Formats: sequence, C-alpha cells, structure tokens
Amino acid sequence: MLGMLRKQLKGHPALIPLLFFIGGGAAMSMGYLARLALRNPDVCWDKTNNPEPWNKMDPTHQYKFYAINMDYSKLKKQGPDF
Amino acid sequence: MSICVLCDLWPPYWPRRNARLHPHRLSQSTYTAGIKVTLSSSLQLLQEVKMAEEDIQAKLQNYRTAPFDARFPNSNQTRNCWSNYLDFYRCQKALDAKGVDTGPCDWYKRVFTSICPISWVQKWNDQREEGNFPGKI
Repeated sequence: MLGMLRKQLKGHPALIPLLFFIGGGAAMSMGYLARLALRNPDVCWDKTNNPEPWNKMDPTHQYKFYAINMDYSKLKKQGPDF
Repeated sequence: MSICVLCDLWPPYWPRRNARLHPHRLSQSTYTAGIKVTLSSSLQLLQEVKMAEEDIQAKLQNYRTAPFDARFPNSNQTRNCWSNYLDFYRCQKALDAKGVDTGPCDWYKRVFTSICPISWVQKWNDQREEGNFPGKI
C-alpha cells in the first residue's frame, strides 16, 4: 500500500501537503481519544481495584488544558475525611 | 515587623547560615545537631485535626452553594451529584460504625442538595429503602 502511495505521489507531488494535513488531523483526533481514555477521571478500566478513579484525584489536579479564571493551586479537599 | 516574633530576633545578616535552625523550620522534623526533632510534629497533627473540625463547622455555617470541584471541571455535573450523594451515606455509615458524631457529613448533604435534581434524590432515596440502590454504600 505504501508502494502505491509513493508512485501516486511521484506523479502528483502536490498531494503531499494533503497527506500532512489529513494525517495530522487523524493523529490529533486519535490523540484526543487516547487522552480521554487514559487520563479522564470519569473513565474506569479496572472495576475491582479502582472503581471510582475520581476519588483518587489530587484536589489541585487540572484536567482541562486551559483554565481562565480558576486558580487550581489554591483548591483544597472540601468534604471531611471518613 | 512580621507576625512571627521569633523571626524578628533572627540575626539580620545575609546569607543566612544555619537556615535549618530557622524558627519556621524547627517544628518540622529536621536533624539539628544529629537529633531528630519530632515532638512538635505530633502536636501539629493534633492541632490539624482540631482545626479540620472547626473548619468544617465554619464551612457549614458560611455555606452558600456547592464550590468548584476540580474533579468535575466541565458543565456536566452529574457525577458530582452522584459522588456527593454516595459520599454522604458512606460517611454516615463509616462514622456510625466508629461511634463518632456524624455532623461533619452534612457537608456532602448540603452539596448534593444544591446540585442534584430533586427527582433524582427522591428516586435514590426510594431505591435505598427498597434495597435496589445501584451504588455501593
């Protein structure tokens, strides 16, 4: 399949940027899905050992990429321990 | 003039030699002259527990609405509601088992009352009474 691709690109070199953009887009979407699957605290992979991953988070942990008004370093655990 | 009286007596030369002996650092366990200082760290623990209880009372009195929870930063707060509902009943069960006053658990009750739809809370209460509740308490 790569051989076919190479032949086509040699004939139409203007298609190379297309590859970059489509490949980049696909990589970004797969990367976002991977981040959601592995880092999102709502996602539970191991029901027996870690059934509620959001309870194991640090209160200052920032999941979003960019927080506009929220100073995460000042947050503390809210409820009492039990 | 700082609030730390001992700090004012600190020799005013720079750089500070013997920074391990600074008044602010004596209360953590450090090695001073080879002897581990841990007396004040256990006192600190006791003080912290007392402060935590007073903190909860103060927080309950000043409560307006559920504060920002970093575990649930997005607009979908379903899990926030669920988590606090579970935490309230787990806290009650745990503190009842220990025989301690369950007053501090009220924080969770206030939070889920603020953010959960009333119909959900009623449905879960009914499920708990019937024994059908899907969560682990």
